Amino acid sequence: MSHVFLLGLAGALLLGGAIVSLALARHRILSGWLAFGAATAAGVAVFAVVVDTFRAGAGQETVLLRLPVLGAAWTVLVDPLSAFFLAIAAAICVLSALFSVHYMAHFERDSVARFYPVLLVFLASVVGVLVTTDFLFFLVFWELMTLTSFFLVTFESESRTTQRAGRKYFIVTHAATLGLIAGALVLWQTSGSFHFGAMRDALATLLGTRPLVGNLVILLFLLGFATKAGVLPMGDWLPDAHPVAPSGMSAVLSGALVKIGIYGLLRVFCGFVPVAGPVAGWGIVLALAGTGSLFVAMPTALAQTDSKRLMAFSTVGQIGYICLGLGVGLYCLPDRPALAALALMGALFHTANHACFKACLFLGAGAVLYRTGERNMDKLGGLGGAMPVTASSSMLASLSIAGVPPLNGFASKWLILATCLLAGMTAPLFLVLGIVGLFISLVTLASFLKVVGAVFLGQPSEDPRVREVPWTMAAPQAVLAALCVLLGVFPQVPLRLAHAALASAVQIDLPSSQALIGGPWTLAPSIGGLSVAFWAPLTIAAALVVLSALAYGLQRSAAARVRRVDVWTCGEPHGPSAVRYPATSLFVPFKDAFHGIYPAVPARAPAFPPALRKALDLDRWLFMPAARAVDRAAHGVGLTHAGIPQLYLLWIVVAAAVVVAIVLLAS
Amino acid sequence: MLTAVLVLTVVLPAVGALAVSGLRPRAVRATAVLVATATAILGVWTVTLAYPAAHRVALGGLPWLSGAAGQGVFGLLLDPLGSVLLLIVVVIGLLTVLYSTASVGEANRDHPVGPEDQRRYYFWLLAFVASMAGVAIAPNFLQLLVFWELTTLCSWALISFYRNDQSLRAGMKALVMTHAGGVFFLVAVFVLFVRTGSFEFSALASLSEGARVWVFAFLMLASWAKAAQVPFHTWLPDAMAAPTPISAYLHAAAMVKAGVYLMARSVSAGWAMPPEVAYVCGALALVTILVALSFYFVQDDLKRLLAYSTIAHLGYVLLGVALGGLGSMEGFRGGVLHIICHGASKALLFFCAGAVAYATGTRSIAALRGLGRRMPLTATAFFVGVLAVTGIPPFACFWSKFMLFAGALQFGGAIGPILLVVLLGETLVAFSWMLYVGQQVFFGAPSPAAAAGADPPLAMRATLVLLMAATLVAPAAGLPLVGLIGR
Repeated sequence: MSHVFLLGLAGALLLGGAIVSLALARHRILSGWLAFGAATAAGVAVFAVVVDTFRAGAGQETVLLRLPVLGAAWTVLVDPLSAFFLAIAAAICVLSALFSVHYMAHFERDSVARFYPVLLVFLASVVGVLVTTDFLFFLVFWELMTLTSFFLVTFESESRTTQRAGRKYFIVTHAATLGLIAGALVLWQTSGSFHFGAMRDALATLLGTRPLVGNLVILLFLLGFATKAGVLPMGDWLPDAHPVAPSGMSAVLSGALVKIGIYGLLRVFCGFVPVAGPVAGWGIVLALAGTGSLFVAMPTALAQTDSKRLMAFSTVGQIGYICLGLGVGLYCLPDRPALAALALMGALFHTANHACFKACLFLGAGAVLYRTGERNMDKLGGLGGAMPVTASSSMLASLSIAGVPPLNGFASKWLILATCLLAGMTAPLFLVLGIVGLFISLVTLASFLKVVGAVFLGQPSEDPRVREVPWTMAAPQAVLAALCVLLGVFPQVPLRLAHAALASAVQIDLPSSQALIGGPWTLAPSIGGLSVAFWAPLTIAAALVVLSALAYGLQRSAAARVRRVDVWTCGEPHGPSAVRYPATSLFVPFKDAFHGIYPAVPARAPAFPPALRKALDLDRWLFMPAARAVDRAAHGVGLTHAGIPQLYLLWIVVAAAVVVAIVLLAS
Repeated sequence: MLTAVLVLTVVLPAVGALAVSGLRPRAVRATAVLVATATAILGVWTVTLAYPAAHRVALGGLPWLSGAAGQGVFGLLLDPLGSVLLLIVVVIGLLTVLYSTASVGEANRDHPVGPEDQRRYYFWLLAFVASMAGVAIAPNFLQLLVFWELTTLCSWALISFYRNDQSLRAGMKALVMTHAGGVFFLVAVFVLFVRTGSFEFSALASLSEGARVWVFAFLMLASWAKAAQVPFHTWLPDAMAAPTPISAYLHAAAMVKAGVYLMARSVSAGWAMPPEVAYVCGALALVTILVALSFYFVQDDLKRLLAYSTIAHLGYVLLGVALGGLGSMEGFRGGVLHIICHGASKALLFFCAGAVAYATGTRSIAALRGLGRRMPLTATAFFVGVLAVTGIPPFACFWSKFMLFAGALQFGGAIGPILLVVLLGETLVAFSWMLYVGQQVFFGAPSPAAAAGADPPLAMRATLVLLMAATLVAPAAGLPLVGLIGR
């Protein structure tokens, strides 16, 4: 079956599912199951395309619709880069839909008619964005994705914060889209077409003839996609929008939506910007933006007490790592393709990894929210015993995101930081960036230890409502956590896919994946015969297992008695909530040191000058006075009509005299 | 065949108007819907029949007007540009009538209308449709002028429909201001006839350089007044005293669209617009867009907000037309496409505002909160309208605005990019504010005024659903038509 047919099938399933779930929105659970079913069916179709693309390479480009007036045509092509992101987006959306089935039931006042149908259209638009190769239609799907995600974020209709955050998200990203439109139009002016290929050629031409304009276009693309990806400062919408969205949607936002921004960056910087041109310079820009983003966002994350807001900031930080990887890769692309490929693969791998662990963490936070109604970590604690699946999934995901070996976060960060430091051998700037990245890795670990510690560990909670969430909510977390482990232990598999994706996107030949990835069980890249960034996850995993077993055995054999007693102070027993160490109290000196790193700039609309307002009110000083003047003049003329016949005779005589005078004078 | 159908498209609503005025109140609505439906079918049919060629028939002349160079003074013309206008006139006309059957009645909390007033209402509304259809298929300036002034008359009667102080004043204002513009139109036609001996649109190109500037300037003045452009924009917000369906029709398809249509017609007839007039027209259109935008933020009445948005969007159309006059085909096509795209979106927004007023009795943005829970369909339609009118893809105005942006950029030098930046900026600010208003009115905790909210009766709901579909279909219908316009 052709790719287009399968994608069309997926689209039809999603839209059909949207209609059916809308019609049945009164039945919350049923509507959710229908949406999940439609998403899964569509996901299967999409995965068929993904698998086929990775096996057989990019398919044939198909023209679905032509708009000769604009020189645009809706062309569809799935290449490995699209396939890589399709896989991530579809997987995350399907798992989130499953999670939402029961989760959405706890919003009693808002109808799910505003959730499931929109979610399915959102997924359809994401697929559209990823497979379209014409920029006009790309923009159509891109904004469709934005607007559907806006309605998903603002699901809680009565909360002012939610509405405000959603509005901010939509406006900021729409501004970015307008930038994309401007950039695309400048290129269209050169080429007369919106096709990706034509735009690439147009950009190359433009960079040759008018380099300033060409680089401006690149900047517009960078801003447009980086805003969606959540790179600071444009990504300021992200920490507001993530916490207020329903948790399933937060996972989709972090796991799929911001990744589409990364896709856009890769498309533009690998596919459009000529390698011989300014790509290295833009690599530095991206690396700096990424590092700045992670340097600001992670300490800010550490200071949060709202679990979902913490995770949102950490998304900004992790996107920063991805951008750092992209930047290193682009910088090295012209001269050192092997190093560039490794860095880009690391970035792409980190994209997939981040989707797994961040989605898992948001779903975990959602599960806690579902049971306790609480996002404030100061008021949570000791949930681990009652919610074992949630707790262990979140724990694994937290270790992953912090880059603890042998989990997946380590593998990708290792590649990014190693290549960054290697690039730093010749360009010391990258050395600095790499060291910042390493340091922030530690902050990541601290932040997520805080989450795990404050929410799940400590004395068991006394809250009677707390128990494990339904399996529909637990299963997606477990799957994502398992993925974190699997991708960490077998990084070669995703890296091979990332290599294929990059090979299809960049405009030069990359070294073979065999040379870049190395052995079947270890990661042994070699550049010019030199082994770099070696990593043997299985060995480490085995060592960890052995050591854990040893430790457990030691404890058992020593038969140390564990004594559990209540906490006493001043002669009184205190409940666990009273003596718990709150999240706010963690890392206080560190937080003080980084205080104010993320300044809050209040946005206020400028006041409209009253003088200008008056000047613009034409009625007031132009039309009404004019009308009154006419009225008065008419009144004046009316005075001559006094109703006295003698007076009228007089007028006639006067008029006759005037006429005679004129005639005489004229002759 | 085509000729007969075309004539019928104008005659049928006119006859319907007369028929309605003599009927018993109970039969009025059904007859009006019937006539409007038949008109819409005929109108769409003629457009498809004529596509892609232009259809021109001469029907007769004036024996005493010997100067009219051998051509008939009266006739018919249906070309792509006229088709665009005819389509929205008949289709939105039908939807307006359909919506009115439910909205203009005693159940309306904002303005109850008794049965005896309905005859008057439908008479003028159908007459409005007929005269707008006449504008769309007029083959020369003289006939265009006749129907043009007829639309002024109809809008005067409809704006003053409630006959209270405010609406009488507003109707008078609209009449005086647009008719003052109409006088310039008359002068322009007169000069044209004296100089060239013809009323044909194409005669504009054969005018001498000096006379052309004046004729175009007069035509432009007329179209500004009609299209409520700065400095003649003040009548349109006041015209909100009209019943809401009338406002919708006035803004989306009739009256103001006749103004921009005149300009588009003059420019595309021979492409002889003097550049200095085009520059003035474009500059004032830009000023209008910004001035109208500046009024968004102080409006409390939903309908007045929409009125200012209309003024801005007519500025977009005129900007596109001016760009066309300066040589940018893409800009001209975008402007013309905007007529139809804006028509669908703005009609939808007005109908939503009408549904809100119908149910709650108020149009005050400050008084309305959280309506979405009780009026889900209206809320959906309003958001679709907001997204459509501000140009969020895939909805209507994205396509036309996109073409306009492209047209702006086709301008060489510094003007093109600056124009693009200004337009993009306006788009963003307008979008932000409309989104904010939508959230204020439909989201949040329900206010006391919203407690009475409920989705409107079937006829109004159907209109909203049809128009939501139209915001997606409009560009698809318009793009092939505007693609035919060219030098």
